[in-house]
Amino acid sequence: MNFRVAGLAAGLSLLLAACASAPPPGPGPSVVDERVRQPAREESAGVQVFPLENPAVAELMADASSAELEGRHEQAAMLLERALRIQPRNPELLQSMAEVQLQLRDYDQAMGFASRSYDLGPRVGELCSRNWRTIGVAREYLDDERGAAEAEQHARACKITKPEGL
Amino acid sequence: MATKRKKKTAHKRRPAPARKRRWPGRLWRLFLLFCGISLGLLAPWVLYLNYQVTTEFEGRKWDLPSRVYARALEVYPGALLTLPDLRVELEAAGYREAKSVTQPGQFRMQGGTVEVWRRGFRFQDGLEGEQHVELVLTGQSVKSVRAASNGQELGLFRLEPAEIASIYPLEKEDRTLVRIADVPPLLVTGLQAVEDRNFKHHPGVDARGIARAAWANLRAGKAVQGGSTLTQQLVKNYFLTHERTVLRKVNEAIMAILLEIHYDKAEILEAYLNEVFLGQQGAYAVHGFGRAAEFYFDEPLKDLDPEQVALLVGLVKGASFYNPRRHPERAKARRDQVLADFAETGLLTPEAARAAAERPLGVTPSPRTRGTRYLSFVDLVRRQLSQVYAEDDLRSEGLRVFTTLAPFEQEKAQAAVSRGLADLAQRGLSADLQGALVLADTATGEVRALVGDRDGDRPGFNRAIHARRQVGSVIKPLVYLLALEHPDSYNLLTRIEDAPIPLRQPDGSTWSPDNFDKVSHGRVSLLEALTLSYNQATVRLGLEVGVNSMVSRIAQLGVNADVDPVPSVFLGAVELTPLEVTQVYQSLANGGFSVPLRSVVAVQTPGGDELVRYPMRLLPQPHREAIGVLNYALTQVVERGTAKALPGLLGKSLTVAGKTGTTNDRRDSWFVGYTRNRVAAAWVGLDDNRPAGVTGSNAAMQLWARLFRDLAVEPVDLRVPDGAHYLWVDAANGKLSAEGCPGAVQLPYVDGSEPRDTTACGATAQEKDKESLWKKWFGRDDQ
Repeated sequence: MNFRVAGLAAGLSLLLAACASAPPPGPGPSVVDERVRQPAREESAGVQVFPLENPAVAELMADASSAELEGRHEQAAMLLERALRIQPRNPELLQSMAEVQLQLRDYDQAMGFASRSYDLGPRVGELCSRNWRTIGVAREYLDDERGAAEAEQHARACKITKPEGL
Repeated sequence: MATKRKKKTAHKRRPAPARKRRWPGRLWRLFLLFCGISLGLLAPWVLYLNYQVTTEFEGRKWDLPSRVYARALEVYPGALLTLPDLRVELEAAGYREAKSVTQPGQFRMQGGTVEVWRRGFRFQDGLEGEQHVELVLTGQSVKSVRAASNGQELGLFRLEPAEIASIYPLEKEDRTLVRIADVPPLLVTGLQAVEDRNFKHHPGVDARGIARAAWANLRAGKAVQGGSTLTQQLVKNYFLTHERTVLRKVNEAIMAILLEIHYDKAEILEAYLNEVFLGQQGAYAVHGFGRAAEFYFDEPLKDLDPEQVALLVGLVKGASFYNPRRHPERAKARRDQVLADFAETGLLTPEAARAAAERPLGVTPSPRTRGTRYLSFVDLVRRQLSQVYAEDDLRSEGLRVFTTLAPFEQEKAQAAVSRGLADLAQRGLSADLQGALVLADTATGEVRALVGDRDGDRPGFNRAIHARRQVGSVIKPLVYLLALEHPDSYNLLTRIEDAPIPLRQPDGSTWSPDNFDKVSHGRVSLLEALTLSYNQATVRLGLEVGVNSMVSRIAQLGVNADVDPVPSVFLGAVELTPLEVTQVYQSLANGGFSVPLRSVVAVQTPGGDELVRYPMRLLPQPHREAIGVLNYALTQVVERGTAKALPGLLGKSLTVAGKTGTTNDRRDSWFVGYTRNRVAAAWVGLDDNRPAGVTGSNAAMQLWARLFRDLAVEPVDLRVPDGAHYLWVDAANGKLSAEGCPGAVQLPYVDGSEPRDTTACGATAQEKDKESLWKKWFGRDDQ
């Protein structure tokens, strides 16, 4: 029964998708949360890297994150750009921009900012995982499945492997 | 009876009356004919005027100049900012130093404390009200930002941007539009009290006003008063020429009446407030009260005090005759007369009028400069805008253009070029040398300063954007980059042959490039060949990596130029502008993330609606690991190579990366260099491309150093991205070594390019290293 309903719903949505001329919906805030932030947080439990925060940047980031929550992604991007003028090499900031770009469906820019964040960031732990997950999701939307799988592997490698005892 | 009498009378005066009876009839007919013709002519004439009035006034749209703004200075604890730099920024934004800060637009400096009262401003991302703050600066940076009222710490404060240029309408009118609702009530009523007391009631012309003026003129024996209503004055300014003929007067009256029939008083007055001529700034006429308030007082119209309103109202009578900057006494007398009129009509109490008359004129010594600053940079802005906007739109739509210019960096760049060239002339180089300098933010690609002439503010040929000159050795790093992108074949210590290399030219002749010192150096490492800029080694390496890859790599780094795929490209037989060279190096300076250089970040309507935005875009380059290795090599150019004089010139210890460039017969001198936060290209040469006796380090580098000496810059980041890593190697033989071994240096390697052999000392050390792995892990963790 449930399957039938589900099948019907799936059929309907396929039909609707076929009719619609608009591009398929991009990654909304839930995708960024579910597929980037949350798994990154879980995987790297206990290993956190906190870059020193400049109060001005913190203020702008907080504003950007409220704008993002309200769905005003352009505004969020503008605020993050302002913050990046102050700290252009802040990996946390660059990754936030990457996640906003993902929601703006600018996948190239999402990958660009995430890569820059990775290059400048700790290359391990939560931020690293967010970097690669963003790249993975972006590649998926760009139909680069192999690339997405590679990114997934990179994301898993961000987990710090503590040195084994001798 | 009457008929009879008439007849009788008619009869009595027969001979003559026949004519008499005819004459009135004729007169009457003539009169009717005249009326007919007049009406026949007048009616269409009135209709024509009516058409003119309605169509033009209905679709009235003033051409508004576009305003070009610098970037807004962000001030926050930790920001790199010195007091002199802050002063330049404040002055560029039109702030005035005051003994005590009592109103927006003023600042006060005392020791390291700077009190600033910012004006309200619509920034690119929204309106921010006025703000009174106290900044504390310590030497190189900002220590604290506090609200002046309660001392509360603020995380961030920004100054409204300096207006660096206006792009004016062709008829050279400058104007800031105001709506009648935003105008001080005293201006609305005061203007009527002085110019047209019956404005509310007359139909466009005012018979009483004309009579009063005529009487006054008669008594004075000359024209002392005009009888024109505000409506007539508007018509005169708006539709008619300034010639004084009867026909024009008649037209003016008819049109004024027509205007009043079609539009209400408020619309007419609003048009008047924006149209009236109130001053002249250079070639530009100041029209309307909105602009006049800014021009004379540097304040928005709504903030004016009664005496300021009175001064502007007084100027209606004759803006040049009563020019308060040129004839302050005349202007004051006129203003006080206006204040008396205000009192007489009850707009001000006599006490208030008297008090106002005692105040000084309050006019700023000179208007905030418009359209005259930073011409080279504004050129770049126009070029970027021209891709989106027609010249006409820029001249008429009142666009708000937000740019990336940093006034204090621009000032320093201009000084670096002009003083630098003057200094070179003193040292015996040509006094005709020209220079160009482009300075950009490494990470955002925002152009902070651009100089295209030795005299920074001179209009004309802008060398930074338009001078395509051979770049010489400045291009060489790309040859080495291409080599490093093949880790199986090259690392920084790979040996290449620096020896004569004959090249077959397209015309069949042979060309064999010389080294700068005319000596061939034998087998040298890539690092040495690059840092010392050996031509023969570079060409040999170039031929190995391929001229076509070179040409496509230049394009990949963001330069769209015609490059011939010939071997001389490896030595810089490529013509690029300083701006393009800056673009190439921006990618290297930013860890292989190209950001298209921008001078404009956004364009808005006068109301603040966004029309276009140029966000920061990152374009990752392939082989960023090789770029990371090259980055290190370019710091060695400064440390031990052709630019080794630079640290001395900078007078500070700083890791800088850069490359010199000299072209054939010493025609062009280039230096491109970068730090973590700034990248800049400098060029020096002669406009006619004659030999100029310049080299990269004797000319362009001097200009570059002058600029960077005075800038707050951060050292180059030597960290390499994934895919590259540092190793201890023996500099002499390129073998793996270890820390502490003789001749060991730490060099970056692209993965896969590591040396295979190890020195004896290195091997022993590595064994020890393996044993102490555990210690190393936790030894690092403890730090």
